[in-house]
Amino acid sequence: MSELAIGVSGLTKMYGRLLAVKGLNLNVPRGSIYGFLGRNGAGKTSTIKMLLGLTRPASGSAHVLGMDVHTSRLPILRRTAFVSEKKNLPPSLTPAELVRFSRGFYPTWLDKAVEKYARLLEIPMGQRFERLSNGNQTKVFLLLALAQGAELLILDEPTTALDPVSVDQLLRVLAADGADRGTTVFFSSHQLEEVEQIAEHVGMIEGGRLLMESRLDDVKNDFRVITAAGSDLPREISSQVLSVEVKENFYRYVIAKDGESYARDLARNGATVTHVAALRLREIFLELVRKEKLCTSGNAGETPVLSSSSF
Amino acid sequence: MYLWKCWRDTRSFFLVFLIGAAIVMPVAAVVCKGTGLVQEFGADAFQATFGLLLIAVALGLAAIGAIHEFGDKTAHFLFTKPRTRAYFVWVSWSVGLGELLAIAAVNFLAGWLTLLRFSKNPLHSPVIGPITPQLIEDLIMAIYTYSLAYSLTAVLRSGLKGLGAALGIVFGLPFLAIAVRWRWHINLPIPTSPIGHLSLVASDLTWIFIALLFVFGAQVVIERGEV
Repeated sequence: MSELAIGVSGLTKMYGRLLAVKGLNLNVPRGSIYGFLGRNGAGKTSTIKMLLGLTRPASGSAHVLGMDVHTSRLPILRRTAFVSEKKNLPPSLTPAELVRFSRGFYPTWLDKAVEKYARLLEIPMGQRFERLSNGNQTKVFLLLALAQGAELLILDEPTTALDPVSVDQLLRVLAADGADRGTTVFFSSHQLEEVEQIAEHVGMIEGGRLLMESRLDDVKNDFRVITAAGSDLPREISSQVLSVEVKENFYRYVIAKDGESYARDLARNGATVTHVAALRLREIFLELVRKEKLCTSGNAGETPVLSSSSF
Repeated sequence: MYLWKCWRDTRSFFLVFLIGAAIVMPVAAVVCKGTGLVQEFGADAFQATFGLLLIAVALGLAAIGAIHEFGDKTAHFLFTKPRTRAYFVWVSWSVGLGELLAIAAVNFLAGWLTLLRFSKNPLHSPVIGPITPQLIEDLIMAIYTYSLAYSLTAVLRSGLKGLGAALGIVFGLPFLAIAVRWRWHINLPIPTSPIGHLSLVASDLTWIFIALLFVFGAQVVIERGEV
């Protein structure tokens, strides 16, 4: 059995002349909670659609639960639950009817999960879908996905339209479901605080390209911001140094790896290191996107694809 | 479960037309009681209403059935279920066809029973003779129209567009055929009319086959389409 719930290699998607996904590689370990991060239009939804066979890649390969998405679409869909970015369901059906409709497709369907999550998420099961609030519509989607008893949950922007309390509930549910049943949760988002709350692995995508894929703990351990004072300190951008900002004799470095040793090197070269701190996921993401924009505009050479090999 | 959903989506429409199909001839007979109109023109009226009713039902069912399933907004929900897209296309079409045939059967039965009260030979018109062949033509026309409208609605992913295109083809084709015959003396086949030198039965079977080809065409387009 493959160790990966999702394995993607060189995946490319074009819409006409627009290159939406460019040679994407992803490795989502089984049983993990994986946050797939990117701005709007970064290629997250296109990637997810290719994983589910809703759209075809121009090139590259993708395997879900060890099966090729091109040749094994139905077995994959039998074992995978999906929450779409578009939270639209047949408008005239009630959540109870949607449950009735969905149940027959999945031998692993969990009626107890329906009861549990309907109560927990406070979903009015007898009201027509079109009359539910946006938040409740999203919850219905999640209920259907969670009740499926799937091995893999693919959630595209699952927290859209949810209030903070519901977001918190959802994140707890996802974490608990992953822990209880060993479900792999692959969810896309640009709400970085949410991802930071539950994800074990993260992949960052920008302009259809993977910027980074790593364990979240490794990301947090690796990335550092260093402020130092001195003259003629290094200003070169490299795979280790993501950015350097200079204001008079004060330097601010964002380091992708071995921040502590870089700080020691600076001190050895006569710099006064005033501050070494960890970065939040949001700051890391912004730095990587900024770097990518510089690269694609031709100002900073090739962007390194950072990857920790801790899977 | 999908069968149930198709039924759930179309049942209101179906029940309204089913009731209409059951009462139209009896009500007409009651209204015309004592006038002798039913004896004289009942069979003709029955044949005309049968055809019109079935065309209306065919267009309606095609437009509301397919759009619920393959519309842009909800297609991702349906097409991430572990069934082939062909399954969804044919099951949805079959449910509509079943409803169409049920309405046809009820309308026929109600019309036949009503006319039986006024005539020993209810399916015979004093004006045009036996109406049974025409009723069969009407039914085939309805199946053809339903399949065409269903396929166009599914492919265009819009009930309104599918309905419009189907109406255009169904009602535009006879005019086109007349124009072609007038200009180039070529006889284009018009739905449910005999094709070339084929017998009536062979032509009818051909039209049903063409109707199935429409659905197959829709299946191919939907299978290849991206959501």
